[in-house]
Amino acid sequence: MAEPSTSASISVEINGEVYEREVDARRLLVHFIRDDVELTGTHIGCDTGNCGACTIQLDGQAVKSCMLLAVQADGSKLRTVEDLANDDGPNPLKQSFSSHHALQCGYCTPGMLMSATALLEANPRPSEDEVRTAIQGNICRCTGYQNIVEAIVSVNA
Amino acid sequence: MSTTETTIATPVVTEPTELQKGSIGTSIPRKEDGRLVQGQGVFFDDIRRHGTGYVHFVRSPYAHAKIASIDVSAALALDGVYGTLTGDEVAIHTEPFFEMSTPPGAHIKDYALAVGTTRFMGEPVAAVAAATRELARDAAELVDVEYEPLDVLVDAREAVKDEIVMHEEAGSNVVWSGVFDWGDWEGAKAEADHIVTIDELHFHRFSSTPLECAGALVEYERGTGQWTLYCNHQMPGIGAIWMAPALRAPLDKLRFVTHDIGGAFGNKICLHPYYVALCLLARKLGRPVQWTEWRTDQHTANAHGNERWFHDVQVAVRSDGTMLGFNVKALDDCGAFPRYEPLGCIIWAQVTPGCYAWRNIRVDFTQVTTNKSPVSPNRGYSRMQHLWLTERIIDIVASELELDPVAVRKLNYVKTEQMPYETPNGCVYDSGDYARCLDMALELIGYEGIEGRRDEAAGRGKLLGVGIGSTLDSGTNNFGQSQLLNPELQFSGNNEAATVKLDIFGEVVVTLGTVPQGQGHETTASQVVGDILGCSPEQVHVRPGHDTFFNSHAGFSGTYASQFAVTGLGAVKGAADLLRAEMIQLAAAVLQAPEEAIELADGFARIKDGPEEAALPFMALGAIMNANNAFLPPDFNPTLNHRFVYRPYFGNVDLEKKMGKLTLTYATQIHACVVEVDQETGVVEIVDYAAVDDCGVRIHPQIVEGQVHGATAHAIGAALHEDFVYDEDGQLLTSNFYDYHVPHALDMPTLKTSAIESPSPFTPLGTKGMGEGGGGGIHCICSAIQDALRPAGKPIVYDSCNPSHRVWEMLQDPESTRANVKVVST
Amino acid sequence: MLLREVEYARPGSVEEAVELLAGHEGARALAGGQTLVNVMKARAASPDVLVDLNRLEELREISVSGETLVLGAMATYTQIMGSSEVQVARPILCEVVARIADVQVRNRGTIGGNVCSSDPTNHLPPLLLALDASFTIRGSGGERTVPAADFFLGVYMTAVAEGELLLSVSVPAAGNAADGFAAVTIGREGTCIVSAAACLGDAGTRVAIGCVDAVPVLIEPDGTEPDAVRAAVGAAGLDPPSDVHGSAEYRRHLAEVCALRAVQQASERGR
Repeated sequence: MAEPSTSASISVEINGEVYEREVDARRLLVHFIRDDVELTGTHIGCDTGNCGACTIQLDGQAVKSCMLLAVQADGSKLRTVEDLANDDGPNPLKQSFSSHHALQCGYCTPGMLMSATALLEANPRPSEDEVRTAIQGNICRCTGYQNIVEAIVSVNA
Repeated sequence: MSTTETTIATPVVTEPTELQKGSIGTSIPRKEDGRLVQGQGVFFDDIRRHGTGYVHFVRSPYAHAKIASIDVSAALALDGVYGTLTGDEVAIHTEPFFEMSTPPGAHIKDYALAVGTTRFMGEPVAAVAAATRELARDAAELVDVEYEPLDVLVDAREAVKDEIVMHEEAGSNVVWSGVFDWGDWEGAKAEADHIVTIDELHFHRFSSTPLECAGALVEYERGTGQWTLYCNHQMPGIGAIWMAPALRAPLDKLRFVTHDIGGAFGNKICLHPYYVALCLLARKLGRPVQWTEWRTDQHTANAHGNERWFHDVQVAVRSDGTMLGFNVKALDDCGAFPRYEPLGCIIWAQVTPGCYAWRNIRVDFTQVTTNKSPVSPNRGYSRMQHLWLTERIIDIVASELELDPVAVRKLNYVKTEQMPYETPNGCVYDSGDYARCLDMALELIGYEGIEGRRDEAAGRGKLLGVGIGSTLDSGTNNFGQSQLLNPELQFSGNNEAATVKLDIFGEVVVTLGTVPQGQGHETTASQVVGDILGCSPEQVHVRPGHDTFFNSHAGFSGTYASQFAVTGLGAVKGAADLLRAEMIQLAAAVLQAPEEAIELADGFARIKDGPEEAALPFMALGAIMNANNAFLPPDFNPTLNHRFVYRPYFGNVDLEKKMGKLTLTYATQIHACVVEVDQETGVVEIVDYAAVDDCGVRIHPQIVEGQVHGATAHAIGAALHEDFVYDEDGQLLTSNFYDYHVPHALDMPTLKTSAIESPSPFTPLGTKGMGEGGGGGIHCICSAIQDALRPAGKPIVYDSCNPSHRVWEMLQDPESTRANVKVVST
Repeated sequence: MLLREVEYARPGSVEEAVELLAGHEGARALAGGQTLVNVMKARAASPDVLVDLNRLEELREISVSGETLVLGAMATYTQIMGSSEVQVARPILCEVVARIADVQVRNRGTIGGNVCSSDPTNHLPPLLLALDASFTIRGSGGERTVPAADFFLGVYMTAVAEGELLLSVSVPAAGNAADGFAAVTIGREGTCIVSAAACLGDAGTRVAIGCVDAVPVLIEPDGTEPDAVRAAVGAAGLDPPSDVHGSAEYRRHLAEVCALRAVQQASERGR
């Protein structure tokens, strides 16, 4: 019988590495990633789960890591933007972002890349509408999204 | 995709330099991208220090209240809490921040925390530092503050009556007021065929809400009294000027270090109150302290763009549509504390006539405080509000007199042949071709076929409208205009610094005084340096961010006011030119050839058309200077390390006539759009959108286009959704992204862009700053909505924000809006 | 942004979940978390115990039983969108769920969470009321099924009492019925300002209007003609709230517009 407790031991795989930690039940997953595991590529841009700067992949799905407790990630496989750097060879999505000038300040970029990665894994040749829907939950204040959309549409076109 | 029409006239540069056909004008891959796409950017919250105290601010729930008492004992008793800070301590340990305005605004007392009285909802009244973020938040809840609520002012039109006075020391809510009178308004009125009056227009309160919130990690070194702020302050020059006297410390004891910043758009200029609180805590607690602002706090208690009312607008116009002049009472709402904002009382005058040639303009300007968030120079700052007024005037007058808005604009636009053009108040529009940009924008949206599209849309029950937004982005301020605000201010001119050096292994290293937040300064600086030194931009290493200890900054350093392409790159060019001259001198000495025979190309200093051996790689030059210099003659002392301060020249400002060159460059943006309005719901959909930009020589066209996209997105958000709305108790109703809706990818239309290049005759590279964008999209969408609603009773668009409920109200009751406008014909 | 201290439990079965909810005061079910975590961040509500339902696979099942589509309370929006059972039995659910928030929210958010939070701006309460759905609730006393008309009791209040757990939502298969949904939102596909769901079935015309009251308001016009719909909306005597996104008058007007559009959409599909 699971007794309620203010903290729990969790085992989480992040970018292929397993982390076993004791976390407070109230700790948000994004703070666990940024402060406890010290992967600071995942960002925080709001306090109401709207902006998507904290987007990661959890068991393959794009989720907002600020809307999950760290304890909920126990037993799951997480992927953050840092993992895209570990791919064999240059990552075509990131190259497309750069060549299309799909980033300016870079703050929304990790979340965008994770939403785009999740999309392209399910749908390698998305239409412009499909891309806009996929990144609806990722706010950008610099680019107006146009170059981001072109970058994602172009990856496998 | 964008179509780029480039007309590169021969750049007129003030100092001759060999600009090779290199990287300037090409969109090279950005240096910043490598780290940012890997998630390896360093934003202030990514930096960690051992033993840090995380700070949470206790904030006022009231818009206006006396603070009767603050009891921190329960917070201090919590395990893991390191300490607290209250307004009483701040009043003892700091001077109030210096105020820019003349009396009464000069007497306002502004501190890092509320002292005695709180004047806006969310204002910090105390701070707690603890071992974790969560503990600091928990402890903040335990701080017991007793408030005695006072009457609240949320409307500038009430505040100006001074029935409730917010700052007792000032004795009035008026921060500043003044009359600007140029040309001959009375004469213009007499000459006019029609006088069009508009009783009231309102430019609303919103901001660019950068995705990264404000914050800092602050360290204090006891032995030296040195503070280091790892932060995202976008204008450290003025930040230090506010903070050092407040802290009673020498300026150099404040070291600002920025690295990557997640957008700023003018909302990270007035962070000094928070930073002073952090400095005091770091010193008091003997440990580093860290504060990360939350989104709700940014919306409530950081800074908004300034809100402005325009009353009793009178426009003198001839029957053929020639605009002779206008007269207006402007009422600016700067929120609870003016801070930077008194400059907004003047800065609009950089674009007094907008894009138009009218010569007789009178503006009666008053700025007041209200119990709302303080304001700061949000993207478009003060000029945007004024330009919106001029565009509203053009459209309203054209509509009332049944004139074609395109024809009226072309008739009244300043003509390209008139450039450089002196405006009625002595500013000089350097270059541009507004009519041509307008034609290009109209073509992009298919203006020729608009009436057909209107009919087709009507068949679907939609009202179609087309709008134009002409705007200017005035760049590179002359801070002398601050003396129009307050003759005693010791500010004038402008400057920016940069250093360029050649290291021992031939590395070219650049430091900037600017504070980039996504504008690609590392990249464009490397293009300019590469072209001057004859190497590729890849060989040029630009250090990211700003650091006081680079000693590469000047009094006005920062990234704001659309000026990097002029001031930042002007400084880079100056330093690179000095380095180049020395490299040539040194190479000439080594190769034993005259200097005129030496060229820098492909990363070498070599004899032009000489043998292959007569070439020195940069590494050789660097090594000689640094480590192998014995053979150089005694009177020859190259350093290969140069610091340059670029100073644009403006001349003086005439304080009496309120005239002068207030800004150096004027970039143009002409926007055009087509909207469809759902008559039943008031929902506005943008179905076509074009923006044509002219910012002179473009160093990196893709970066320029990116700024146009971003400015347009900000404008669309502001025009249709984003509004900081307060209730009568001064509670902000739109404090998070649910209620304050910013455009997401489904909200944005496809943007068609184009560009021309009218080089500035006044800048070192022919460039003009352009990042702010002048709010063109706001003017354009208001214009299109008014056009769309014409068949439904010709309502007048009177507010810069038109969400669906307001559009619906205009449809239901066009008469109320029309009662605002009168035409008197003579 | 930072939650108060809370206790967390992760039951392995529905029985355990109910035991935990019933046995601890201030215990709340944690479903998708897309509402509850926000509420806790703002410290607007701070449960003492969170009972995480996310390992209860039996609550995620979607099945058709006779003429009834049964959706487990923990079925996510993404699951529902991708379910062939839902697509065939009652496709309006897929369409509406696809409009909720964004991809990230849809990957975690659940139908149970949407209805139990009973936020007046949520999409599913008016839709499920129009479809005449029913809700199966388990408590320590046993199981019971509540029709939609009795399920939504107020803002953030439903028939699921403290210590109880919503197990599933049952929706009649469409059969001859035709459905429609219309909303005016903050931005494209944003939070609803006013919404309406219409179901034209054998039992007549049902229209449920959201965002105009604490709970969705059901009207049953005499047929699908615009005048009949207008008359029914008028007779409902709506008294919507006024806020930053619209006045009471605007919302009342939008209620009529959305009702008409939802009915029209349903009519066009019914042909």
